[in-house]
Order: sequence, then C-alpha cells, then structure tokens
Amino acid sequence: MRTLGKFGVYGGVYVPETLMPALEELENAFENIVPGEEFKTQLNSLLTDYAGRPTPLYHAKNLSKSWGAQVFLKREDLLHGGAHKTNNALGQALLSKMMGKERIIAETGAGQHGVACAMAGALLGLKTEVYMGEVDMERQKPNVFRMQLLGTTVHPVKTGSRTLKDAINEALRDWIGNLENTHYLLGTVAGPHPFPSLVKHFQRIIGEEASRQIEEKTGRQPDYVVACVGGGSNAMGIFAEFVDKTSVKLVGVEPAGAGLETGKHGAVLARGSFGCVHGMKSLVLQTDEGQIQEAHSISAGLDYPSVGPEHAFLKDTGRARYDSATDKEALAAFHELCREEGIIPALESSHALVVGKKLAQGEAAGKVIVINLSGRGDKDLHEVMKHAQ
Amino acid sequence: MPSKNRYEERFTSLKKSNKGAFMPFTVLGWPDEETSFSIIKTMIDSGASALELGIAFSDPVADGPIIQAAAHKVIEDGFTVSQALDLVARVRKYDESIPVGLLVYYNHVMAKGIDQFFARAAECGVDGVLIADLPAESADEILQAGSANGVNVIFIVSPLTREARLSKIVTHAGGFIYLVSRLGVTGTDERDSDRDNRLAALIASVKKATTLPVLAGFGISTPIHAEKMMSLGADGVITGSKIVDLVTKAGSNWQKELETYLKQMVDALNSVKV
Repeated sequence: MRTLGKFGVYGGVYVPETLMPALEELENAFENIVPGEEFKTQLNSLLTDYAGRPTPLYHAKNLSKSWGAQVFLKREDLLHGGAHKTNNALGQALLSKMMGKERIIAETGAGQHGVACAMAGALLGLKTEVYMGEVDMERQKPNVFRMQLLGTTVHPVKTGSRTLKDAINEALRDWIGNLENTHYLLGTVAGPHPFPSLVKHFQRIIGEEASRQIEEKTGRQPDYVVACVGGGSNAMGIFAEFVDKTSVKLVGVEPAGAGLETGKHGAVLARGSFGCVHGMKSLVLQTDEGQIQEAHSISAGLDYPSVGPEHAFLKDTGRARYDSATDKEALAAFHELCREEGIIPALESSHALVVGKKLAQGEAAGKVIVINLSGRGDKDLHEVMKHAQ
Repeated sequence: MPSKNRYEERFTSLKKSNKGAFMPFTVLGWPDEETSFSIIKTMIDSGASALELGIAFSDPVADGPIIQAAAHKVIEDGFTVSQALDLVARVRKYDESIPVGLLVYYNHVMAKGIDQFFARAAECGVDGVLIADLPAESADEILQAGSANGVNVIFIVSPLTREARLSKIVTHAGGFIYLVSRLGVTGTDERDSDRDNRLAALIASVKKATTLPVLAGFGISTPIHAEKMMSLGADGVITGSKIVDLVTKAGSNWQKELETYLKQMVDALNSVKV
C-alpha cells in the first residue's frame, strides 16, 4: 500500500495477506482513475441525469416555526433509489468497470446499499451479488425483492449473528477468493483503507451541495450540521465539506436503541471501545476479551457494532460531537416529519431529526440547522406499522 | 528470536530424516474443552510434527464455513480466550517439545493488550503467533512484543504476494512461512491443478528469500494433496478444516477415524523424498 489510511490511531489496513493485492489495486485506482477527467465526466453525468443530483436543500418552514430555529433538510431521500447510498454505489461501480472488473459484490443491512448496488450493476452491466444476513432478509423483504427485480442475486448469510456484520465478513470472504474479476463495493466509510476515504470521496457531494445551497438561500454557512451515524457514510458525506469551516458545529447521531443503559443499542462512539474489526481499527462494541457484539436499533441501517474510523477521530479531536436517539424518539420524529412537512423519512434519518429538534429547542434556538435527510421511509412502513398497533 | 526455538529444532530434525512436516489445526475449545484436549492429544500421538491452534473469534474473515461454525459454537458455549490459553498450557505439559502455534485475530490481541497477550502466550508454551488479519505493513505493532517474549511471529504468503511484499514479509517472519496454497478462505474444496503448478514457482521464490521452512495450507485435505505440495517444493502441510469436518461427521467414532486420517497424512509426508 502507498499509505495506510490512518485517522489518528484509527483506520489502517488489517486484513488477511490474501486480500492485500486487491486493496493495493483499489488504492491505485482511487489515486489514478478517480481524479481523471474521463471518470469525473462520466460519474457527473450519471449523478445528474440518472440519479437526480443535485438534491434540494429544503427550508422546512413548518418545523422551523414549531421548533424555533431555521431548519433545512438536505433531501437525499429524493435521490434515485431513495437514499444517499446511490452516490457511492454509482461511483464505485463505475470505478469497477474502469478497473476491468466484471462482477461486483456488496453487503447490505437494511437493503438500501444493496438496492443501490443492484441499480448500478444493472445500469453498467456488472454481475451483481449481495450478501445479506438471514435475519435482515426477513426484516426487509421488499428490498430483497427490489434487488432481485434488478437482476441481483441475494445470498442469505447464515453465519454468526446473521446480520450486517456477518454479511460484511461473507463479502470479504467472497472477495478473497475472487480478486481477479470482482470488486467489493463496500457501502460505508468503514473497512480497510482505502474504503473509508473512497466512500467519503463519493459521498462528499452531499456537503458540497449543501454548503453552496445554504449560501444561496441564507447568504451564509449553517451553524449546525446534523446527520445520523451507523457506519457513518451520510454523516461523513455531509461533514466533509464543513470540517474546515470551524464555525459550523458538526453533530452525529447514533442509535440508542432501547436506551444506552439497556445495552441494546448501536451507540458505538458513546459506548464502544478501541478495537479491530472488518479490516480497520475503530471503536467497537465488544466483550472484554474482544468478541464483537451485536448492535441493536429499530433502524437496520444503523445496526452496526463499529463505526467509520474517521468519526472516531473527529470525536477524539472534538471537531464533531456525537449524540444519540432512542428507537422511541426516532419513531416520534418520523411521525412529526410526516405530519408537519408531508415527508416520510427513513428511520435512520429520523434519528438526526430527534437531535436537530433538541438543538433547536436548546442551544441552537434561532440558528441555522442543516439536517441530512439521508433516505426516504417507504422501506420502513412495515416496521412503523408494527409499532403503531 | 526465542532462545529455545522448538520450530527450528523440529524442522531441522525432520529435514535430516527426509520427512515433510505435518501441522494439523483445530479450534481450541471445540467441540468442548475436554474433547478439544483429546483431539489435540490424538494429533500429537499420531505423529504430528507441530500444532496450529486457533482461538475462536466472532468475526473470522479468513476462515471458511467449517472453521466459522466451530468458532461460533465455542463462543456460544461461553468458552473464553483465557480458557483457550489455559488449554494450550495443558497441551504444553502433555508434550514439552512439539512446536505450538496460535492462530488468532488481532482484536483478541488488542483486547488483552499486545504485550500482555504475547507474555501470556509465552507462559502457556506457545512458540509462534499468526495474526490472521495483521499484514506485514502493520507488523511493527507487535514485533517487539513477540521478540521480548520469545514468541515467533508467523506470516502468510499467498499466490498473489508480489516480490516487494515478499521481501518485507520475510524480514519480519519467524518460525515458518505459512503458504496459502490457493486463493479463498480455509476449506476443503477441490484443488485446481493449474494453480498448483504455479505454486512451484512461488515456493521457489519464497525459498530464495528466506531459509525458513515453507508449509502449505488452505485446501490441503488428503495425502495426495500433501504429496503434491511436497513435490512442488514445500517443507510440509497444514490441515485444518478437514480435521474439524472429519470429527463432526464421525460422531462418537471420531477418535478412531481421526487417528486413521492423521496417520495417513503423516505416512504420506514421511514417504516423500524431499
């Protein structure tokens, strides 16, 4: 590797020797193909004409009035596929194609990343296979069907806890055996270098647009940027542009599940400890002896027992702060956005709304708050109906 | 380097008598503590040259379905990392001279503390530690702890390891080189003869770079595979998934079947002219 992709003590390359050549090849492609004009032109055209970028920055006037701050929603829910995941899937799928790969594989939890890969694979003519925990397949049936409609093979993962973390293991194992023709299209800013940087690169368009749009609408930069954090790709995507704008406060929101004190949560930055999993050093939910534990959240997309290494770094340096929202709070915020603004948000994004509201009603009263509405909630209707009954 | 290097002693004596090394693998604590100890004793009594023992990890990315399932069971049963190390100490008491390697994932080493992990491993009689997810790039993090505690740090070389990486790996490597003989995770899949033939060139280049013995693992499950690896220039073989699979399928008759299998492997490796 040319670099080890460290963010302070986090990040790095912690994978079996058999995977190293693939990561070296990917690092090389990231440094040489991605900055090239041909790649940039093609990706830009896909993002604009196929996926629908730029997404709007919407001034949510009803929420603003009721919460007491100027609330803007970055509408990634309006992106093709229904979530920010499409940005990364298109970027990496195009890169795979230019690297001469014929096949992409991916992990998925809630299914949004899997669907984004399935769309990109269909569009670009790449054979697409997605690993999904058996438990998640049951929870997210419509997304399994969507992937299948798009021509993707969905492999049920029956090992370990049969959720996202095991799907990542299974995708890594597949990759180890098929390096030559396959690209592993990892869906978040986690995993071994160069993935955290590569995925951030493809997601940072969210923040670039938001910064420009808020300037146009208000003549200034926001006071707060708020986003939910599972693996952390939508948050890193919107934070990246603002990290150097030190007047902008960055707030990530983790899933507190049934409550931090219950142990049933996915608040890795709040409660995790330093460890190594999925090829990176980061904070991890683990036992004293280092067995990885399961995360819990109403939202399958935040259900991950580690977190992108750069978030751990931003937390340590104090550049970003991380709060959490419980399942119950997220559900309440979900309903509030439906009723107030006529927008059905993803349960993931609803976590960001919870903290946005708290800020607006507290220290950020009257301030400009941008909340990343990372996805739409159609996929969550079943889950929400279960709780309504 | 450890003062008393059991690997070196054992490999030297095998070489003198023209024998290949047989290094069986199992997961510590599988299927339960006592049976695990019996499996390991059976390996020793059947003529294993050295042992490779795995500590069960919740997320073993380098392992195929057979070892994963074994690791999963061990964790579900509540068998801990510290119990696994205690079991190694029992094995060391049973045989003072057999080289014992640990196959671990980095998170277990980090969770205990790198120095503490290596110190405890040394106390339990471990001769080598292979960290499955620690490539040579980041080896600096553990080399000091390895040498301070007299524990060899074992590294993997794969068919895709290029020259530049190979020379980095051999400067850090102790004990032996673990040669991944086919791409993919651990398992018992059919072998591909074209790939086997390309292995000969790889083994030759490893041997040019280091005097350490080269042991081939991944997908080595039969005496024929073992003979093939020896004919390609390897100094021995490592077999893991096959053993776990065999014990699983044999049920109550496992001891007899395991003995028969281990002896076939040892015979195959003894009869090859190296």
